[in-house]
Amino acid sequence: MAARGKDPDPPPPAALTCASPAECSLSSTQSHTVCMVSDFFYPNMGGVESHIYQLSQCLIERGHKIIIVTHAYGNRKGVRYLTNGLKVYYLPLKVMYNQSTATTLFHSLPLLRYIFVREKVTIIHSHSSFSAMAHDALFHGKTMGLQTVFTDHSLFGFADVSSVLTNKLLTVSLCDTNHIICVSYTSKENTVLRATLNPEIVSVIPNAVDPTDFTPDPFQRHDDVVTIIVVSRLVYRKGTDLLSGIIPKLCLKYPDLNFIIGGEGPKRIILEEVRERYQLHDRVHLLGALEHKNVRNVLVQGHIFLNTSLTEAFCMAILEAASCGLQVVSTRVGGIPEVLPESLIILCEPSVKSLCEGLEKAISQLKSGTLLPPADIHNIVKTFYTWRNVAERTEKVYDRVSREAVLSMDKRLDRLISHCGPVTGCIFALLAVFNFLFLVFLQWMIPDSLIDVAVDASGPQSTWGRQCSYSKQRDQNSSEPSKTR
Amino acid sequence: MCDQPVTNTKEARWQKVLYERQPFPDNYVDRRFLEELRKNIYARKYQYWAVVFESSVVIQQLCSVCVFVVIWWYMDEGLLAPHWLFGTGLASSLIGYVLFDLIDGGEGRKKSGRTRWADLKSALVFITFTYGFSPVLKTLTESVSTDTIYAMSVFMLLGHLIFFDYGANAAIVSSTLSLNMAIFASVCLATRLPRSLHAFIMVTFAIQIFALWPMLQKKLKACTPCSYVGVTLLFAFSALGGLLSISGVGAILFALLLVSISCLCPFYLIRLQLFKENIHGPWDEAEIKEDLSRFLS
Repeated sequence: MAARGKDPDPPPPAALTCASPAECSLSSTQSHTVCMVSDFFYPNMGGVESHIYQLSQCLIERGHKIIIVTHAYGNRKGVRYLTNGLKVYYLPLKVMYNQSTATTLFHSLPLLRYIFVREKVTIIHSHSSFSAMAHDALFHGKTMGLQTVFTDHSLFGFADVSSVLTNKLLTVSLCDTNHIICVSYTSKENTVLRATLNPEIVSVIPNAVDPTDFTPDPFQRHDDVVTIIVVSRLVYRKGTDLLSGIIPKLCLKYPDLNFIIGGEGPKRIILEEVRERYQLHDRVHLLGALEHKNVRNVLVQGHIFLNTSLTEAFCMAILEAASCGLQVVSTRVGGIPEVLPESLIILCEPSVKSLCEGLEKAISQLKSGTLLPPADIHNIVKTFYTWRNVAERTEKVYDRVSREAVLSMDKRLDRLISHCGPVTGCIFALLAVFNFLFLVFLQWMIPDSLIDVAVDASGPQSTWGRQCSYSKQRDQNSSEPSKTR
Repeated sequence: MCDQPVTNTKEARWQKVLYERQPFPDNYVDRRFLEELRKNIYARKYQYWAVVFESSVVIQQLCSVCVFVVIWWYMDEGLLAPHWLFGTGLASSLIGYVLFDLIDGGEGRKKSGRTRWADLKSALVFITFTYGFSPVLKTLTESVSTDTIYAMSVFMLLGHLIFFDYGANAAIVSSTLSLNMAIFASVCLATRLPRSLHAFIMVTFAIQIFALWPMLQKKLKACTPCSYVGVTLLFAFSALGGLLSISGVGAILFALLLVSISCLCPFYLIRLQLFKENIHGPWDEAEIKEDLSRFLS
């Protein structure tokens, strides 16, 4: 994420280091113009944000044209360019709750249509079921006859009223979407059930980490003590309450045990209370919010990484920790058992007792020296997940989707009514008709032919870096990928 | 990898792991798909008569409200002397007080550590203050129209019924709010009575029927279920009788309401249980079952 710091001026292409040419796979037969839509993007930080950024970079590298649409973050509005001509539209839409925009299903159509036409978008790729803008874009994309893809990044229950309602909306939103991508098999099962989908149109493509960002550094850690690292937001869903039980129990048992806890959140207070109550100020360090670039420097100080999440679709944190060579101890929830092989992770039940047993097992292995050295763990993990592989697999989804026919209006209405229940189906079918009429009205006001076509910053006709012909040539000839982070 | 010809399908077994490149397309659906899905694991089987028994809490509360309104109506019409109501209320309170300790053999009192002297003190403080302020109560809502008072009382009593702690573990339950609403309704209605003595006795009666009576009921229900059923039936019939003396139609409607709540609703609940489809699986948020506050105490 080289550009994040000094955006909007992208760093010169010369500053990018290159990976080995052999690693780079050649671009596919077909080039797509993809519009990634999500409410969550830089400057916001998190799993979805970095997923979109990394995936886009790798798809650009493979010769596709990618643009990103998100909402304005404070002062950051309008069009910005990131590394390698990744064009980002920050739309002036009102944020309602938790960085998600408000939705009326209609108000975003004029802006989004303008962008889709300008950029000659062929595939809409929306991210995250929490993002209203992503669902809006799917809705408009289908009205405009574009192919739609959706990536679900989170798990949801079925028990309470709020999840019943959101699941119903997800059913509506996904029933006529061409293809859905989930980040783990558990997430796929969850999404298929929530939106009553045909599992054949749901692909599983995991997240990845950049192994060059998360390298081990055994000299950073003190080997006379055992250090346990926790990096997560300190909220209920991440199991901070469990952590507050584990800390005193283990600290009393092992005098040479330290905790380093990175992250901020409403549950920080209970950790501070525990530290106060048991006088552990010199052994439990609360670092507060961490910037993503500092996470690695915290991780390498420890021997064991502890994850206490109560629900998790994929869990990037354990992957980052394993990539830094730490022994991972985690709860067995959601998609976590799928992420790492059993030799690299100790899975526990989500209870203080079970997690303590897991940690004690890790500590005894560490003391007896039977743990793998950090460099070995790093070398194993770095082969598992790469963004290039993610991009390659996503590209296959695009290829498949682009060969499918978009549902015509009457078929779409049929699908909505037959698939989403009589009441909801009819309401949303009506809304789809209104949306179509609105689109016709907009096309009459400003015909597509009058909308200027944007200059491509990425993709086959890319003008990015033309002025620097040498590097362009080099990029084309050797198909050398640029480093993405 | 949707288009790759699927090779080695026979030999290689699909694994539910992400870290290995498997010879299957990304949208492959294995036989094991959704094998960890569980349905209705926490669903409870209900017995008809057990549900009917539990519904008596609702019946009791409806009857309390009914009795309260009937008594108020008699006072307002001047058919019931305040002294008589005060005497009956006092006598039944004393009986209830004795019963409260007798039912569980004084265990509850030992546990709470509350002395009789403390009970007497709070009763005296309450009665003195209510009596002292009853002239104020009487004139409190003189400037408000009677219709408003009636409307407000109806809403408050409805609120009392909605927020009452029937034993369900839900966010909406708040016994404090419920009691406050009932007392507010009683104050509103008391201000429409002829004299300040009436107002004082009405509010005292409200405390007895909305605050003290449910406590005794709860204990009765826990310790002697049989007598609780008897008390509930007796109470329901007396409420119905009282209502019948005012309005025949009202009594019939109220009787229908009671019957539907105690007999039809449980039947319907048990029928609907057959359609229950509660889905559980590895995606559920884990629950922390231990009590973690012990680490902080």
